[in-house]
Amino acid sequence: MIEFELNGEHRSLDVDPATPVLWVLRDVLKLSGTKFGCGIGLCGACTVHVDGRAVRSCTLAVSAVAGKSIATIESLGGNHPLQQAWIEHNVPQCGYCQSGQIMSAAALLASNASPSEDEIRQALSGNICRCGTYNKIRKAVHSVASAVPVVVVPEVAAQGSS
Amino acid sequence: MLTRRHFIRNVSVAGGALSLGFSLTGCSTDRAPQFDEAAFSPNAFLRIDKSGRVTVQIHKAEMGQGVVTGIITLIAEELEVAPESVHYEMAPVHTAYADPEMMLQITGGSASMRVYYDILRLAGATAREILVKAASRVSGEALDDLYAEAGQILSRSGHYSAAYGELVATAVGIPVPTDVRLKSAAEFKLIGRYDRRLDSAPKVDGSAQFGIDVQLDDALVAVVIRNPHFGGKLVEFNAEQAKLHPGVFDIFTIEQGIAVVAEGYWQALKAAEKVDVSFVAAANSTLASSEDIERAMSAALAGEEFVTVRDDGEHPSDPQDKLVSADYRVPFLAHATMEPQNATALVSDDHCEVWVGSQAPDIAQDVAARLLGLPHESVTIHNQFLGCGFGRRAVADNVAEVVAIAAQVRRPVKLIWSREDDTRHDFYRPAMAGHLSASVAENGDVSHWHHRIVGPSINQQLFPLMGKAMLPNWMPTGILGVAGNFVAKDDFSSVEGAKELPYEFNAIKVQYHNLEVPVPLGFWRSVGHSHSAFIVESFVDELAAAVGHDPLLFRRRHLPQDSRQRRVLDAVAELSNWGDAAAGRFQGVAVHQSFGSVVAQVAEVSLIDSELIVERFYCVIDCGQVINPDIVRDQMEGAIAFGLTAALYGEITLEGGAVTQSNFNDYPILRHNEMPEVVVSIIDSSDAPSGVGEPGTPPVAPALANAIFAANGQRLRQLPLRIS
Repeated sequence: MIEFELNGEHRSLDVDPATPVLWVLRDVLKLSGTKFGCGIGLCGACTVHVDGRAVRSCTLAVSAVAGKSIATIESLGGNHPLQQAWIEHNVPQCGYCQSGQIMSAAALLASNASPSEDEIRQALSGNICRCGTYNKIRKAVHSVASAVPVVVVPEVAAQGSS
Repeated sequence: MLTRRHFIRNVSVAGGALSLGFSLTGCSTDRAPQFDEAAFSPNAFLRIDKSGRVTVQIHKAEMGQGVVTGIITLIAEELEVAPESVHYEMAPVHTAYADPEMMLQITGGSASMRVYYDILRLAGATAREILVKAASRVSGEALDDLYAEAGQILSRSGHYSAAYGELVATAVGIPVPTDVRLKSAAEFKLIGRYDRRLDSAPKVDGSAQFGIDVQLDDALVAVVIRNPHFGGKLVEFNAEQAKLHPGVFDIFTIEQGIAVVAEGYWQALKAAEKVDVSFVAAANSTLASSEDIERAMSAALAGEEFVTVRDDGEHPSDPQDKLVSADYRVPFLAHATMEPQNATALVSDDHCEVWVGSQAPDIAQDVAARLLGLPHESVTIHNQFLGCGFGRRAVADNVAEVVAIAAQVRRPVKLIWSREDDTRHDFYRPAMAGHLSASVAENGDVSHWHHRIVGPSINQQLFPLMGKAMLPNWMPTGILGVAGNFVAKDDFSSVEGAKELPYEFNAIKVQYHNLEVPVPLGFWRSVGHSHSAFIVESFVDELAAAVGHDPLLFRRRHLPQDSRQRRVLDAVAELSNWGDAAAGRFQGVAVHQSFGSVVAQVAEVSLIDSELIVERFYCVIDCGQVINPDIVRDQMEGAIAFGLTAALYGEITLEGGAVTQSNFNDYPILRHNEMPEVVVSIIDSSDAPSGVGEPGTPPVAPALANAIFAANGQRLRQLPLRIS
């Protein structure tokens, strides 16, 4: 049995401890918002928060999150300032990578309330978008960072580690 | 060839008016696919139920290009409803949705808005007119005194108003009018103005369902071990140990390889690693490696076996002219869609259901029907959001695999390809070679433009593959191979963008040699234009440089006075401050027409030692009437990212008949920190809409290569661009 917290709920699972968190989420828990892109931690589509930090769930064995707290895109609920900014800026094209982009951006804002253009680029450089929505993503992150620099931080942090 | 479709009552011009397939009033038996007894469905594209809810059928694949928004906008414009109030569904396979030009329910060729511009507006307008008639019947008001606005029919006197839902019961009894008038551009409220995207919300909260997200009760997950060598053979395999792996359901062979079926993806993947398998490469292949193919291309370029696809005739030579010639190369490319290939199927004795994100669901249906020996109507395709398409999802190789597996296990099965599978078993953008020569005078006059193209034909391979979906089951499909060979010798997809050179040069000649290669080929965003534009627009730059002319003015001089190319080029010159870049910045330009649109781009780079930074792209597009300006800008920006990936990194190489690359480590994609600033301007036009999804890609590589030349004098004639 491996126990952890997922989106604020306690979970106890009997799975192969080597199974990546991504496939526990998708195949066992049927939470499909977290995406499979490469399987080797290079594209960021599978980004989730573990204890508030953005990590690639495709290369993270579920045994490594025992006793920890995982937050997925589903935990943001839809009204999170970043999600609203994504909609406002028409960010998604195909949309497949956007769960990972948003989770990376949320982790960035949790640690840096008002990142510079360059800090946004660097923090999100692990998240590939094949549609090329990068500039829109940057604008959306910026709009959240500059609009509510103080409020957002604790909210995001709380969601990441609740 | 069209026998199966003889009954199509799709869009056709009858008596000078467009008709829209289904007429569901009265007792039509040819029901619209989204038919609902209680709702009003005047055609195959929409229905309105008694609550007033408007539901639109999305008969094109939403792969990021914004077609959900485009379709709804066109219908909503004439139906007089707010786009955000419209619900939408992915349409089933039905002849009513077959593209009137391509004869298939296919999404490609940047054609959706161009082809459906009139059809979808008419679908909305027809529904609106019927609702007006229904209101007249109910209220007794004269038709002329009624009008539609915001989901209601109102009387001009202000005495009467009814929401659409209230009129549904009456509307279903009214014949479909054939004399519906469409708005003029001056009357548009949405077209060209509306700038929201309608599919964002589910894509930011994780709820959007892509093919890979489909969850069926009791479903298994499959992976397939495929022969890495194209055309090779499976020698033997042993799955005894693998079958003991926890969670494994079964392991067996299908045509494409060895299927490993388990409770989840991870278990299937780990079990697959335990299968002992031996594959061999194709015997006697003389084109098994990239080096082999390069040798064959060079030999063909130097030979004389060409089909002439354009010849403008002779022009006298001037001995004073400079003769310029050069060789160009572009590699094979993978699509690298963000969502790896996948599909889910459930097969019983007399029915098959497939859930898949497909650019051609009728091809998917045809593949499944033929494989199972079922009539087409016994195969249901549930289309999903596509995690990128770029042409990759027009073929149904994933469906062929999952149906074969599901037929064996008789339970729902989701097939998932790994990224490595996806990279190594694509339908690749063909590698191409070009040799150009031309004479240029000191004053800039160009004559004897001679362009020789060597490379494989996409249609030679895809015609037989895709054409089946147009044939009835009983008709032999061998004819498609013959047709493919016939098309191949001057395949338009190999020469497009080179053949229609827009410059007024003297004595243009374009020739093609089809070099057949044992590599699967496919349509890749902008198809032939993706290589033609690089080669042609780089060589035009070479001619300008040979006589010391400004490359933008050189192009302008050779473009017809009133041409769209010239207008777009002038616009990008102004937008980019051409000729006046900041210190340390260097600019390169390219202009190219594809899919009915003209795009000009200026790449602005800085280059310190050999470290290239792509600082900015300026982009101007003339795509006729714009539907949604923000989506046009997004498609330009996305096409620039896509084109930069190809220009800077994209290269699939072969060894032993197998693809060398595997994942994003050796097939890199442009990343956030490498994305240039992009400035887009759209030409104001009321011409009919033309393509948007693809035309932004072709000018990227030549504009960048030309900027590098401006920066350091290196003329890079091979993609990906490598500065030495």
